[in-house]
Order: sequence, then structure tokens, then C-alpha cells
Amino acid sequence: MDLILQLLFTGIGIGAVYALVALGFVLIFRATNVVNFAQGEFSMVAAFLMVVFAVDLQWPYWLSFLIAIGGMAVLGALFNLGVYYPLRHRTYLPVIISTIGASIFLANTTLALYGPQPQVLPPVFETQGFLVGPVFLDTQYLLIIAVTAVLVAFQYWFFEHTLIGKKLQATSQDKEMAALLGIPVAGMIMLTFVYSAVLGGIAGILVAPVLFVSIQMGATIALKAFAATIIGGFGDVTGAIIGGLALGIIETFGAAYISVPYKDAFAFIVLVAFLALRPQGIFGERIAEKA
Amino acid sequence: MTGSPRPVAADPASAPAAPARRFPIGTLAYAVLAAAAIALAATTPFSGYVLNILMQAATYAIAVIGLTVVLGLCGQINLAQAAFFGIGAYAVGLGTVDLGVSFWLCLPVGLVLALLLGAVLGASTLRLGGHYLAMVTISFQQILTLVMINWIPVTHGPDGVPRIQRPGLFSDSQSYLALCVFVLAVVAYAVWRMPKTRLGRAMRAVRDNELAAGVTGIDIYRTKVMAFAIGALLAGLGGGLFAGSFTYISPDQFSFAESVVFLTMALLGGVGSPAGAVIGTGLLILIPEWLRFLKEIPGLYLAIYGLAVILIVVFMPEGIWGFLGDQVKRLRPRKPAPPRAQELTLTQDAASAAPVLEVEGLSKHFGGLKAVDEVSFTVTRGGIHALIGPNGSGKTTTLNVLSGLYTPTGGRVRLNGQDITRFAPHQRAGAGLGRTFQNIRLFRSMSALENVVIGAERPGNGIVAHDRPSLEARARAALAFVGLEARADEPVSSFSYGHQRLIEIARALAGNPVLLLLDEPAAGLNSSEKNALTALLRRMAAKGLTILIIDHDMTLVSDVASHITVLNFGRRIADGVTATVLREPAVIEAYLGQESAEGPAVGLKTDLAPA
Amino acid sequence: MRTTRRVFLKSAATVAATGLVAPSIIRPAGAQGGTVRIGMVLPVTGPGADAGRFALNGAKIALEAVNKAGGVLGKPMELVTEDDQTTNPGAVLAFSKLASQPDLVAFIGSIRSTQNHAMAPDILKTGKPVAFGGTDPVLTQLGNPWLFRFRPNDSFSARVIAEYGTSTLNKKKWAIIHSTDAFGTSGAKALTEALGKSGATVALDQGYTNQSQDFTPVVLAIRQSGADVIGSYFTFENDLGIFARQLRQLGVQAPWVGSASIVNVTALKLAGPSLYNTFGVADYAEESSDAARNFGKAYRAVMKLAPDNQSSWTFDAVTVLAKAINAAGKTDPKAIREALLAIRGHEGAEGTYNFDQNGDGLHGYNVVRNDKGNIVFDKRIDFYKA
Repeated sequence: MDLILQLLFTGIGIGAVYALVALGFVLIFRATNVVNFAQGEFSMVAAFLMVVFAVDLQWPYWLSFLIAIGGMAVLGALFNLGVYYPLRHRTYLPVIISTIGASIFLANTTLALYGPQPQVLPPVFETQGFLVGPVFLDTQYLLIIAVTAVLVAFQYWFFEHTLIGKKLQATSQDKEMAALLGIPVAGMIMLTFVYSAVLGGIAGILVAPVLFVSIQMGATIALKAFAATIIGGFGDVTGAIIGGLALGIIETFGAAYISVPYKDAFAFIVLVAFLALRPQGIFGERIAEKA
Repeated sequence: MTGSPRPVAADPASAPAAPARRFPIGTLAYAVLAAAAIALAATTPFSGYVLNILMQAATYAIAVIGLTVVLGLCGQINLAQAAFFGIGAYAVGLGTVDLGVSFWLCLPVGLVLALLLGAVLGASTLRLGGHYLAMVTISFQQILTLVMINWIPVTHGPDGVPRIQRPGLFSDSQSYLALCVFVLAVVAYAVWRMPKTRLGRAMRAVRDNELAAGVTGIDIYRTKVMAFAIGALLAGLGGGLFAGSFTYISPDQFSFAESVVFLTMALLGGVGSPAGAVIGTGLLILIPEWLRFLKEIPGLYLAIYGLAVILIVVFMPEGIWGFLGDQVKRLRPRKPAPPRAQELTLTQDAASAAPVLEVEGLSKHFGGLKAVDEVSFTVTRGGIHALIGPNGSGKTTTLNVLSGLYTPTGGRVRLNGQDITRFAPHQRAGAGLGRTFQNIRLFRSMSALENVVIGAERPGNGIVAHDRPSLEARARAALAFVGLEARADEPVSSFSYGHQRLIEIARALAGNPVLLLLDEPAAGLNSSEKNALTALLRRMAAKGLTILIIDHDMTLVSDVASHITVLNFGRRIADGVTATVLREPAVIEAYLGQESAEGPAVGLKTDLAPA
Repeated sequence: MRTTRRVFLKSAATVAATGLVAPSIIRPAGAQGGTVRIGMVLPVTGPGADAGRFALNGAKIALEAVNKAGGVLGKPMELVTEDDQTTNPGAVLAFSKLASQPDLVAFIGSIRSTQNHAMAPDILKTGKPVAFGGTDPVLTQLGNPWLFRFRPNDSFSARVIAEYGTSTLNKKKWAIIHSTDAFGTSGAKALTEALGKSGATVALDQGYTNQSQDFTPVVLAIRQSGADVIGSYFTFENDLGIFARQLRQLGVQAPWVGSASIVNVTALKLAGPSLYNTFGVADYAEESSDAARNFGKAYRAVMKLAPDNQSSWTFDAVTVLAKAINAAGKTDPKAIREALLAIRGHEGAEGTYNFDQNGDGLHGYNVVRNDKGNIVFDKRIDFYKA
């Protein structure tokens, strides 16, 4: 039993990471109908910014955090202008390739600027964790789960109860109509990219103490988060959260009871099964192209 | 693709030998170029380094050409190309090393495996589109990579397979390179010609407009699976040759990252043509090599590479080859006027007395909404039958159910006595149903002629032989019938809205349909265009064609239709001879509301003289 | 938009044209008569870039020492490097690019076994000695006469891990944790064999895929297996770091004897206290010999960093290659090969080099202990019999 509880905690912790990155995917997808293959690199860049300010320069953690988040906002804006905006009238394919190019660019620019060594970002709390009965709770994972919950709540409030959130929703549902209603569509999309980059950044900073800071850290998480997004359905924020958590739990239990080396396959097997049996995701919209 | 003159569209019987096979200048030039390339590969004394680069480029290019088929021609994304590449490579690697089987036996086995897996993957997922298809192919890719790594007894696991045997005749790198270049040349030629074949046209049609492809008789699903299988096959071929060129393979060479590289190569060079694939592959293999001088700063050259990818996607949307092609096209003089077209023939099975279309109790419900509710009517042979009704009355839904885009909730549809209720759109087209769309659905990347050729190619169209000259002659005849033969070779995007509608009608006519469904053909036309349309419809009817038309334009309908069925709120409210139906109070009320029904039928002013 | 587009296209055209006009890849390198040149394949990009930096540092330090001592054959020695991008095709291209320069007399290959496998056919074709650091035992058994290993192979590391764990620590019930890549699987296989010979039992043999984000299931499996000692083959330090932390968090206190990566600098930095009191078999241990101490001193002087095995083997490779060329008296590949095979008792940073007929130079490992983050030399276990 304690084994199962321990696995469950770990699964939820990992799942919360996937969910956090998946949130960024969903937001951009809803606003632009495009999957951003550089979403993982947002996390990586933010983690490196933290290492630069909090570790190398020894600035206070909170200040470094604000700078890193500010940096991500700027990066999100530049990303929109350079990678998405020029292609906004084209099909999804060139945009996908463009974001792939951006991911190669970001990863290797970081490599050129910072070098290849993996780095350590100390956790926020001194204590690594504590035992509750037989189960060890890692404080950093607890923090990740808490932050994910808060961000989801914030996102819900923001989209459902603020004017700007509603404008964003309108934009994602029908750009032409939104434009006719006087909503600045380009501005809304800009806002989406900025917010997604910030979200990805927060995810990166949160997982850095657990997974370390390396050039590759973004890519693996992003792929899983992408799978989580599909399981949850692209259309829905709640879906992304549940998809992420489900994936984390399935993976952890699959590794424990079926096979460790094939751990990464579970995500994709579940995904394919999902697409075959329930192509609309847990919550999302229809996938098959409309007649 | 060649500038050689097209065959005179003469009756084959009257001029049997006249339009002799066109002199294939393009093919000949290609053969000369390819032979030169192979000879160069076989004889130039390259260093080992250059040989390795060239072998890698040639084998990769074959796999990238596979993407030209799937993505370029058929518009389906495939992010598992490296997995299929790996299947070919492992077949050759494991076969020659562990089983000691000849290279020439292993390669086909790999091809068959790749083909089958490609078809299976395609068949199980192609009903999904866009990002979902992308994700499923990524999943397949990841699972296959894990299998290659972890199924150690069979795959050797991460150690990889060393000492792979090349075929006896090609054991040194120089001659092996020549072999790779030869295969590349053959594959590139086949894919270069592919857009002009029936399958290639079907793929392009599916890519351009799936709905229109279905109703013109193309089996969308089968076409996609074929594209996927061919793409996988070519990847397997490239992979098999790759295994022989480096004589060592390991799982990391066939990872997701490599699939992304393949895709980037295809899009960079231009996904529309094998030439683009070759250019993209060459560049992406050479650019990192050229940039090696930047190696002092780790990551810098890959950063530049990433930036270059973005810039090329932004500034050269059709890839490098597409961009070059556009420049060339701008310079190339207009083609000479095409030869005069024949008279369009439409054969109607006039002997049969059975009605062309019988609709019985047809229903289509969307959730609680009964868009079409128990509608029955019959279209008799010859002449024009109109289906009218106010907005939201269920006309277009009825049409979509008739052409198979929606499955009916209930009821039965018979075409020429054959029950087609459960037929897919392309099967209905095969049974003789043609249609046009309210919002025009042409194949946007093609010329007017090609659009109409696809119509002529309709399965079950017995009026024309399915070879290229006959099909083109038939297509020209159909274009001539709607008055556009002079502009047959122009891309459809250069036509006005009204003319695009005429092309769509010509596409349907070329298929010699038993019944032609016209979905609001007058929508968006100005009055002179409407007059022309009216005349055209009369000429079509005069040829004995049976037409079911839906439209708002009462003038047009009353002008041409001999029989009218009226729908309102999804139900049939009137059916009969035009003049009678238009006087029925229920019809007038449906159109003008309660009050007007009492006064004279001012709103339904028609040119119809009282009979 | 119009102008930027034109500017871009123009510059793209220029770049393309430059590339076409000056295809440096096809031009054979001019023979530079003044130096003796050695080619080196190393990762500058990709996940191995870190290791590549260390490897280059080690080689450069040796190069300087060689040249200070009069160079080879009276000429200064020179190093020519190519990036292998941490991929196999990258390694093949990098090597063949170097090999196409006829004046290179010998090469330094990769520390990764699969890359050496990939390059092996080209090495055989080139017919010049290649010093490499990959530890897959098979590499020197391929019958390829040009491969010379400058690190002890995994059959030795496994024997040392087994020997130390069963004899010195006196633990008989093992859990083996290894990466499923080439390095990890071959190491685990060798360790299982060595343990079988020494009468110990393997309670758990668990592979994992590189870049795993979580090891909880693995750690729980260790806990359940009841193993009293852990043997490990980790490839990447970040995997090692995550595993180490979770191992300690979940209360597994069994002694742990790991392959070389457990004591390298990056691992120590990432895992911190989680690795305290673990044991590692290290091909390089600074306190193991005078030669190792001297290398450590030189490395610290230049790099201001503690040296590790990723730099020591290239240091030895350059030193020994220079020695062999001088002994041969000429740059003829066959003569260099003979001279390398004749090397006996060369005290290198990694240990004492005695080349056997397969081309394996080293036959033993050092066992070191992590004492609160400091690597302390424990003992050397060597299997070489003259």
C-alpha cells in the first residue's frame, strides 16, 4: 500500500509538471490553431536565466525570479513577432516548422552562450521533504502541485471573469468575428504568446531543482506535455490538466509494474489508444475533420 | 511540365496515328542529367569524407522524396519518416549480418515491411487530421525507437549493427554511391511524373479539397493510405541503402529528431517536387558542414541553422525550389492557344423508364434539430428539377445527404434504381452522381484543365477511355461547353468567381453524370452571369442531362425548372410542376409570410406565362 | 516586408554562392610540412558537448608538454579537431573529414562506444592508428588492427566493481542499475558475469532509458528486492543525480559502487550530498599515482578545475601517441602501430599502459570513495599479468 501511495505522489508530481507545460500548449493552440514545438525551450531558457541571476550572480531568489519571468515575457513577444506573426495567414505546417526552427535556435543559442554543463538551481525550501507515514513527500513536488493548482484557478478566473480574458476567448473562437467586434486580434495573440512563455518559464523554474538545468531539459518534458494535451483534448484547459496528471500517473505505475525501459512508450500507447477510442480527448472538441 | 505541344483533341477513330506519342523532351533531358550524375558519382575520385556526405545525402534524399508524396502531394503530415527509414535500414542490417542473407533479398523485405507498416499506420490514423495525425506519427516513431533500443536479442539494442554487407558488385564506396544516385534518380523521376498520373491527381485533389475530391469520385481514404504507404516505402528504400553506405546502424540514427530533420529538409527545399527534396536534403547536410568553421563556440552553428530554417519558412513559403519555380514561371512565355475542342457528348440512358432519383422518407437530425424530416420526392429522367425553400429549410442538408457527405438518420435513396443510401461519396460518384458546391470547391493548386480531368476520371465514366489524351480531350470539350476552353491551362486561382463556378460545372459534366446536383449555382453571380447560367442550364438539359438544382433565385428556378419540390423547416410542403407549385398558398406563405399570402403573389414574380 | 524579403533573399543567395564557389569540404587539405598533425573527433555540440570540452582540455595540456619536450621527430605536434555533434553519423563525417587529410598521422577517437563502432569501417579503410576512450569490450575484439583503447574496458570495470563489493565490502546480494544505451547494457552484462564468477547473486537487474525524469519506481524496486549493495552504470550525470537524490529520499542506505560517472565533476556538483559515501571505479584518480598527481597539478594550473577521466584519457592518448611516433622514428602508420603495441609500463594519468595484442592499454581500475564531496583514493585493482 505504501508503495502505491508513494508511486501515486510521484505520478501526480510529474503529472503536474506535464500539466503546467501543457497549459502553455493549449493557450497558444486555442489562440492560433498552432502547436508550438518550442514550448519546452521556454522552460529551458527560464531555468537558465534563474541560474544566471540566482546562482552565478547570487541575487535574491525573488528578484531573480521576477527578472526571469520578465525575460520570458519579452521572449514570448519576440517569438510571436519573429516566428508566428509573419506566418499567421499560412497553414499550420509552415508554422510548425518555424517553431521547430525556433526550438533548435533557442537550445543552441543557450548552448553557445552558457556552455554545455548541466547546472544546479537550489530548491526554494531548505528541507528536501518529509515523511508522512511511509510516504516521502518531496517539498519541491509539493510546490509544483500547489503552483499548478493556483495557476489553473487563476486561469479560470482570468478567462471567465475578466474582460480581457473574455476577449481572448472570443479571439480564439473566431478571429474574424472578434475583429469585427473591435477586439485587437493581433494584440490578443501577442498577449497569448507572452503569457504562454511566462507559463512555460514558471514550469521550467519549478522543475529545475528536481531535473537539473540542461539544454535538453525542455524537449523531453514538452513531448510528454504534448501527449498530455492530446489525451486531455486541445480545446480545454481542464483537459490539459487532467491529461497531464493521468499521463504522470500512468507512466509511474507502468514503470513500476510493467517495464522501466519502456516507460516513455506508455505515454504514446495510451495516446494512440485514446485517439482510436475517443478521438475527442477527455473533454475536447471533435478531431476528425468536419464534413 | 514539358513545353511540348499537346495532342490534337481529335476523335481517335478519325485520326488514329496523328497525335503520335509526344516527344518526351523533359524525360530525355532528365535521363541525360541522371546518367551524367551517376557517371560522375562512379568515376570522380572523391575523398572518403565527400563520399560519406554524398552517400548520406543521396539516401536521405530518397526518404525525403517519400515526404514529397505524403506531404507535398497528399497534404498529410508524417513525423515518423525516420522510423520507416530505420525499418529499411534494420532489415538490411540484421538480414546481412545476423542471417547472412543477400543484400538484394533484405532490401525488398525491408521495403515490404515499411510499406505494410506505413499502410497500417495510415489506415488506423488517417481519419484524423492535422495535429492529431502529427501526434500519432510521433507516437509510432517513439515506440519504434524504444523497441530498437530495448529488444536487444533481435535488434542488438543500442550497440547497433556493425559490419553490414554491401552487395557484391557495389562493395566499394564509389560504386555504391553510384548505385544510390541511380536509385535516387529513378525515384525522383517516378515522383516527378506522379502528379500527372491518376493516383497523383487524386492525392493533389485530396490535399486541395477533400470534400470536392470525394464527390468527384476519389476514394479519399484509400488515396491517403496509398500516399502514406508510398512515403513509407521510399523511406524504407532510403534506409536500406543508408545501412549499406555506412555499414553500421544504431537506434539513435532513427529517432524523432531525425524525423524532424527529414521534414525540415522537405519543407526547406520545397515539398511540391522531388527536386525540392533533393535541394533541401543537400542543403541541410551541407550547411552544418560548411559552418564547421564556427565550431569553436559550441552550439553556434546549430543556432544559425535554426535561424535559417525560420527565415526560409518565412520568406520562401514554397521552399527553395518552389521559389525558383515561381521566378522561372514569371519569365516563361504563355503557352500557345490550345487546339480546338470537340463537341461535349453526354450519354443518357434514355431507354430506361425508371426515375433517376428516388428519395423516400429521408431524415437527417442533428441532435434534437430535424434539419431534414421524412422528405420524399422523385426526379424523373431528363430536364431540370428544382429543390427550393427559404433559408434554413434543409435544402443544402438534403443535398449533402444525397451526395453522401452526411449519413442520413433515416430513409432511403435510389439512383437509377440502385440503393445508394449507405454509399460513401466517391461510391455515389461512381454510381453516376455529380455535384457542385454553393461555396465553390475547386482544387486550388491545379489548372482549370486538371480540375476537369479529375471530373472526367470519375470511376464508372464509360464514355471516355482513361488514358491521358482522351481524358484531356474530354476535359477540353467540357470546358468548351461552358465557354472557357481558351483558358484551360491557367491556374484556377486566376479565374473570376463566376468563371470558377463554370469550371466546377464543367468538372461535373466531364464525368458524364447520371444526375447532376447543383447547389445554388447562381449565388454570388451578377445579372449577366445569371443570364449566361440560365442559358447554360438550358443547353445542359437539352443534351438530355438530368439536373437537380437548389437555389434561392426564383427567376432562375422558374425559368429553367420543369418540376419543383419545396421544403420548409425540413419538411416537404409542395411538389409538382413548376407553374402549379409556385401558386400554392403554402409556398407563397413560406416565402413571404402570412400577410402577403392574402394579396397577389407580388413576391413570386416570374417570367412564367400562365399556362 | 517586401524589402526585408529581398534583402534576405539576396544575402541567402550570396551565402549559397560562397558555399558553391568555395566548397572547403572538397578541397584536400594542403600538406603542412612543419608539424606532425593528429586528428581528434570530439563532441562540441549535442548532449556530449560537456565531455568534449574536458577531452579537448586534456589533449591540449598533453600537447603543450610534448611540444615543450621537443615535439615529435623534431617537429612540433599539432591537433586538428572536428565536431561529431554527439551523433553517430556526425562522428563518421567528422572522422572521414579528418581522414581525408593525408598528412594526419594518427587520430583520437570518441569516448562513446557506439561512435567508435560507427567509425570503425572508415578507420579500417584509413589504416592509421586511432586512440579511443569507449569502454565496450567488443571494440578491441573486432579484428580492427588500428583501434587502441586508452581507458580500461568495461570487463575490467565490472570485475573491479564485483571484486570490491564482494571482497572488500563483503556484500553478496546485488542490485544492478544501468542505462539501456550501449555503455550501460554492456557494463551490466559484464558485471552480471563477474558477480556470477565470484558467487554473488543478482537480486535486481534494472535498465532505464537515458534522460528519465523520475526514478521512483526503480528505487522502490531496489528497496523491494532486498539487495544489500548497488552496482551501477549511468551514462548521463543528470540521470545519476536524480536517481541518487531519490535513492536517499526513499531511505535506501545500501552501499553503492558505481561506474566512473559517479565520481565525475558534474555528477558531484549536481547530486551533492546524495552521493556522499558512495564508491566509484575510476579510471582516473588523482591520488592513485605520481603520474596522476602530476596531471592533476598541470590541469588545475591551466583550467582552475579538478580534472576527471574525460580529460585524463586524452592526455594519455596524446602523450603515448607522441611517445610511439618518436619510438617508431617515422610517421608510417604500421610503424606507429608496432610502437604502440610495444609500449610497456608507461605511467599515464589513468594508470600503467601495457598494450596487449587487441589494443587494450589498461587492465585495471581505481576504487575511490566520495568523502563529503571529496574524492578519496581507496585502492587500485589491476588485472594485468606481464
